[in-house]
Amino acid sequence: MNGQAQEVINYIVKDVIRRPGVEIREDTPLVSSGLIDSLALVNILLKVEDVTQMRIPAGKVRPKDMDTVNLMFATAQRLGKPRK
Amino acid sequence: MPKVSNHRTLIDALLAAPPEKPFISVWKDEDDIEQVTFGEFTHWAKLQAAEFYLHGLGTGDRVILILPQGIFLMSAFVGAMMLGAVPAILAYPNFKVDPDKYAAGLAGVTRNLQARLVVVDEEFSSGLSNHINMAEGARLVRGVMSSLCSVEPTLPEMSLEPQSVAFIQHSAGTTGLQKGVALSHVAVLTQLRHLAAALRITNEDRIYNWLPLYHDMGLIACFMFPLVYHLPIVMQSPMEWVVRPGMMLQLISEFRCTLAWLPNFAFQLLARRVRAEDRLDYDLSSLRALVNCSEPVRAQSIDEFVFTYKDSKLPRHIVKTSYAMAENVFAITQSPVDGAPRRIWVSGPALWNDHRVVPVADPVDKSICFVSSGRCIEGNRVRIVGTDGVDLPEDSVGEIMILSDSLFSGYFNRPDLTAQVFKDGWYWSGDLGFIHDEELYVIGRKKDLIIVAGKNIYPQDIEEIVCNHPAIHDGRAVVFGVYNPDLGTEDILVVAEVEKEELLKDSIEIERILRNAIAAELDITAREIYLKPPRWVVKSTAGKPARSTTREKLLAEHPELRRDVTQGAQFQ
Repeated sequence: MNGQAQEVINYIVKDVIRRPGVEIREDTPLVSSGLIDSLALVNILLKVEDVTQMRIPAGKVRPKDMDTVNLMFATAQRLGKPRK
Repeated sequence: MPKVSNHRTLIDALLAAPPEKPFISVWKDEDDIEQVTFGEFTHWAKLQAAEFYLHGLGTGDRVILILPQGIFLMSAFVGAMMLGAVPAILAYPNFKVDPDKYAAGLAGVTRNLQARLVVVDEEFSSGLSNHINMAEGARLVRGVMSSLCSVEPTLPEMSLEPQSVAFIQHSAGTTGLQKGVALSHVAVLTQLRHLAAALRITNEDRIYNWLPLYHDMGLIACFMFPLVYHLPIVMQSPMEWVVRPGMMLQLISEFRCTLAWLPNFAFQLLARRVRAEDRLDYDLSSLRALVNCSEPVRAQSIDEFVFTYKDSKLPRHIVKTSYAMAENVFAITQSPVDGAPRRIWVSGPALWNDHRVVPVADPVDKSICFVSSGRCIEGNRVRIVGTDGVDLPEDSVGEIMILSDSLFSGYFNRPDLTAQVFKDGWYWSGDLGFIHDEELYVIGRKKDLIIVAGKNIYPQDIEEIVCNHPAIHDGRAVVFGVYNPDLGTEDILVVAEVEKEELLKDSIEIERILRNAIAAELDITAREIYLKPPRWVVKSTAGKPARSTTREKLLAEHPELRRDVTQGAQFQ
C-alpha cells in the first residue's frame, strides 16, 4: 500500500468511522457495506484532494467512484487536475 | 428599463430571445465551461424535441428526465415542452446520496408520474433503473447530447395552448414522498411577470445558480425566469457547491452576476466554510439581490454572512427575502429590492402562550427576532387562520393560506392529497406565520410545533440557541416534542451533534449550559438533551436535518421514549 492510500485510510478510521477495532483496506467497500454514511464522503473527497494535491470536480464524481479507497484514487487520477 | 414579457407560452418566450445573446454558462472546472447562446440553446431543444418525437412522445405525455445538471438536461426539458409533452426533472444520483433511499424514492415518484418516456444518461446504473416504475408501453432511453448540426430539425406542427400543462415540478419532501405539481404555461408566465416586476428585472441582470433544477428555486427562479426574460445564467453543480461553496462567490465576481437565490442555511455555510484569505479575492459589487428563500429566514444567518464578506465589496442590504413554494409556481411574497427586509423583536411569552405578536422596542429578555418575508407580490394574497379555519387579525400566529393567479390546481394523480390542502379555492400551506404591518413573517411548519402545557414552542427557536454553543455542530440540532403521559402534555427533546467526538466527554457540562440558555431565553425546560457524535443527525437530500427521520432514529436508540410516544398517540 502506498503512503497516500494509508493516509486516507487513517483519516477514515480515525475521523470518520471512529470505532475501535475497525480495519479497512484499499478495497474495502465503505458505503455499500454500511461502514460509513454517504454524507461523510464530502470530507473524504477533500482529504483525497489534500493528499494527492489534486482538485477533483465533485460534479463529475459518480456514486460508484467513492466506494473504496482504490476507487477514490482512480477517480482522482481520472478526473483530478494538479492544484495551482 | 425594467423588462416585461407578454408571451402566450414559455416556448413563445424562448423563441423571441435574441439568438446571439449568451444564455447558459455551466462551470464544470477551471478549464471546462460549457456555454450556449439563446439561439444555440433553442436549436438544441429542437433537436431533442425531434428525437422525442421519434420515440412517440406526444401532447400530454409525461417524460421523466434523470440527467446531470447541465445544458443537455435543460434542452431536453424545453424540447419536451415544444411537443406539448410534460417533462418532470428528478434528482440525479450523486456520490453523497444513500443508494437505497434514492432507489425507494425513485420507485415512488415514477409510479405516480406514469411517464411514457424516461431519459437517463449513459452513466446511470442499471441497478437504479430497475427501480423506475415503467408505465405500460413506456420506454427507457439512454440519452446523449446530440452534436450541434446546422440542419433545422423537422418538428410536427404544434399549437401549444396557454392553459395546457407545461411541466411537473415536485414539492419539497423526502424524495419518495414528493408530490408532483402540474403547472400550465399561463400560470408560470403570470408568476414570472409578477416576480420580474417585484425584482425590477432589467436587461443587465445575470443570474448565478447552484440549486438543483428539480427544486422550484432552481427550476423557476434560475431556469424558467431567465428563459422568459432572456437573461444569462451562470451555473455549477450542486455537488461542486457543497464541496467548495466559495466557488459560487468567485463565479459571481468573474461573471458579474446580479441575482441569486439561496436557502437560509447556505448563508451560514458561506460565512463559515470559506477561507478568510479567499474572501479577499472576491468582488461582489455586481450583486443586486441575494434572495433568502425556501426555509424560515434567520436574522443571525444574514448578519453573519454580511459581516464575513464586508471586505468583499458586498453592497449594502444585499440580502432580500421571499416566501415561495412549488404549489404557487414560486414566490408569494418578496421583500423590497431597494432596502433590507424589516425585522421586529416580539415578546416571547405572548407568542408562546397566546400565539400573539407583541412587538418590543429593542431586544429584551425573552424576546425573539423575526425577519419579514415582504409583502405579497401582485396577484397573490395570504390570510392567517386559526385551527378552526377562522381568519385571525394582524399580529396573530396561525396557518398561512394562499390564493393567487398562479396557484396550482392539484397534485398530479393525487386527488386525495389535493382535497386535503384546498378549501374554497384557498391553499392551506401547512406553514405557521403572522402578518405585521401588511408584511408576512414565516415561523415554520405547523406539524413541527410543540405544545407544552398550552404554550406554543417553535422548535427552530430552541435549535438556534443550541447551535450557538461552540461545541455543537451548526445546523445539526433537532428539537421535537414527545407526549408525557404523566403530565398529559408534550415534553421537549433536544438531539444535537457535537463538533468533535472528544467533546462528548464534556457532555454533562455542555448539557447544563444548553439547559440554562434555553431556560433563560425561552423560559422553558428541555426534558432531555442528547448529545451525539458528528454525522449522527439524519440529513435530507437538501442537506438540512430531516426532522422526522432523526426523531425516529432517536426513538429507536431510546426505546423508553417510544413508550411515551405510543401512549401519547391514544390521546391525540
